[in-house]
Amino acid sequence: MKRRQGWLFFIIFLLTLSVYLLINYPLQLGLDLQGGSQLTLQIIKEEGNVTRDELEAVNSVIDKRINNLGVSESNLQTLGGDQLILELPGEQNPLVASRVLGKTALLEFRTQKEGTSTDLKTLQLQRLSIKELIRQYSFAEKSQNDDNFLKAFQDDLKDIEQELNYSSSSSDLYEKLIEIKKYVDKEITNLFIKTDLSGKDLINAGRRQEQTNSNWEVLLTFSNSGGEKFSEITKSIAGTNQLLAIILDGESISEASVGSQFASTGITGGSATISGNFSAEDARELEVQLKGGSLPLPIEIVETNTIGALLGSKNILKSLYAAISGLIFVGIFMIFNYRILGFVSVLSLVLYGFFNLALYSLIPVTLTLPGISGLILSIGMAVDANILIFERIREELYDGNTLTRSIDSGFQRANSSIVDGHITTLLSCFVLFLLGTNFVKGFAATLGIGVLISLFTSLNCSRTILRFFITYQSLRQKNLYLPRNNFSN
Amino acid sequence: MKTNLELIKNKKKIISFSTVLILLSLLGILYSTFNTSYKKPINLGMDFVGGNELRIERVCEEGCSNVSPDSVLENLREISSNKNFINNIKLQFQNNNKLISIRTPYLSIEESNKLITNIDNIIGPLNYESKDSRLIGPKLGKRLLTNCVTSLLVSLFAISLYITIRFDKKYALFALLALFHDLLIVFGIFSWLGIIMSVEVNSLFAVSLLTIAGYSVNDTVVIFDRIRENLKSKEEGYNETIQLSVNESFRRTTFTSITTIIPLLSIILFGSYSLFWFSLALSLGIIVGSYSSILLAPSLLLKD
Repeated sequence: MKRRQGWLFFIIFLLTLSVYLLINYPLQLGLDLQGGSQLTLQIIKEEGNVTRDELEAVNSVIDKRINNLGVSESNLQTLGGDQLILELPGEQNPLVASRVLGKTALLEFRTQKEGTSTDLKTLQLQRLSIKELIRQYSFAEKSQNDDNFLKAFQDDLKDIEQELNYSSSSSDLYEKLIEIKKYVDKEITNLFIKTDLSGKDLINAGRRQEQTNSNWEVLLTFSNSGGEKFSEITKSIAGTNQLLAIILDGESISEASVGSQFASTGITGGSATISGNFSAEDARELEVQLKGGSLPLPIEIVETNTIGALLGSKNILKSLYAAISGLIFVGIFMIFNYRILGFVSVLSLVLYGFFNLALYSLIPVTLTLPGISGLILSIGMAVDANILIFERIREELYDGNTLTRSIDSGFQRANSSIVDGHITTLLSCFVLFLLGTNFVKGFAATLGIGVLISLFTSLNCSRTILRFFITYQSLRQKNLYLPRNNFSN
Repeated sequence: MKTNLELIKNKKKIISFSTVLILLSLLGILYSTFNTSYKKPINLGMDFVGGNELRIERVCEEGCSNVSPDSVLENLREISSNKNFINNIKLQFQNNNKLISIRTPYLSIEESNKLITNIDNIIGPLNYESKDSRLIGPKLGKRLLTNCVTSLLVSLFAISLYITIRFDKKYALFALLALFHDLLIVFGIFSWLGIIMSVEVNSLFAVSLLTIAGYSVNDTVVIFDRIRENLKSKEEGYNETIQLSVNESFRRTTFTSITTIIPLLSIILFGSYSLFWFSLALSLGIIVGSYSSILLAPSLLLKD
């Protein structure tokens, strides 16, 4: 008896601790419960696996970019060996993040090959006309059903294709435009020779509005060695008709000539500006990308989930209803069938609930919808152990054993079945947790934790509570443990 | 209130019943593989094939006006450049026209936002706080599918291994037979649901199969444990002892199923819609699992 009393105090202590934990360390809610966006970024590598170093490098670049974007309370974590998960809580539009993160942002400085001035001029003109077509196309969506507009549009496109001696295979008009633009960009880039100056030589980037018009420009600040390289390069082409191109991800965003006054020293001062008709957002995105550095491997956004805040709070409410009504109905069922024993199982279920939640805030486990369903499902499994024990106790009672003896042997004899049964569920949870996606992990975690805790609550807590109950004489009547009509059996 | 299941008498009936269920499931799987538009054993949802799923509520002062999905699509077609794309959009209204639910092939975030703006212009205003949007690229879908199939196989292997170590060969074999029976039937039911009601399965379905596997084995293990225990101590014949053990465990197994299904029903009734099919699959699995643990697996143990 003494030993059990010790357990009783221990359980009360654990309960107090759980309540304390829950008050002081509130549960972390997943995005499906608080609203927000989640982006899954996939690192693309043509050959071989992404190494740990590469993953780290991509992670740190993405992290810098997010910080520079000023997204509040974002959370970035790696998933598996080649994915990253970015969570943006609240009503933050994932669009900007996706635009900034999706680009490799490989910055190159190239000098023009000699004797290609005419080729470049033609290509620049073609680029201008294709850009104009794209602009017309996206701004004039309504008129796309206008046959005259379409016909004229397609004629223009055909002219450009003929001039370029390149035709796109795509059937969609918009894709066609983009493909041709890419081709022009590639042709332009090919007219320039690589230098050893690149985005790696930057130490900072900024932006400012141009004084003469409302366009924005992006400022680059080079490191010491970068500044030297820049002055060397500018010196070599100063006063010639060769241009300096600044190329971002294979697309030339600026081609500029270097005046003859720089012929002796090059452009010194370690900084440069890119002014290429940027809008305020464009300039900001470029700034963020350049500040974060270029990604060692390209990434692709493979999944985006967005959940409105209102829906999130509705989900919490719904889960709460489901959990509470589940508990109540299970409780009614147990009390109806097992009387006092049922009441004991309800008490240990309540303990079970508290211990579970306290552990979530301690570990911590982020609570998501699948996680909650794992918790709710584990209620049923927690009761399972109690049912096994109570059935044994009933049998012992029917066999005419005393209450105390029946209870003791009931707990003992059910032990092995309970442990066995829990192991198979734990195995499933373990595999789910190892191999599953983020979404699935939540379920596996809560179900697994639940199964473990239920071993303690159903074997130990319910036994202790029951032992405590039968210290009272009035609670020792057998008919409180068995439905009366069956007792005559 | 002792139950009295006549297992020995009904062995043939039980086994034929299970055989019919299995054949029906196989039929569904075959039909689904060869005779549907998706040509897969089961209707794979967005998680596995990629795409865009969007749910958003309209803001209406007093009851939302009745709009036909076709007219919305017609309007979209007028302002969109890619006619082919619009033909692939599935649009539905739910909750008295309040909730719009849309399925499209994979879109970028930009394109998806544009689609929402267009819809807002046609039948707005929309409540953006109620938005639920999921975009899954086709590459990730494939990966998720491989992931789910691997997890299923690995955990089935782990469970089989555990059972084989834990029990004699015969018991292990029948416990596993019961397990595959349960999984096949739940899979078959969802194949049929896919054929008849275009119900799709997502990664949560794989999770439910895994959970059912753990649960079903658990149920069978408890009954087999009882049989082994009784075979050691009881004087009656082999078949009679098995029947007795099943009847002794009957209350426990049904009660456990009931207490597990009650919370699942609560999720089906009150929970978030995204858990509806998941809970249903689990409930079905638990029902089939209890049946196979109480009736099928012990029947297989019976000697002729």
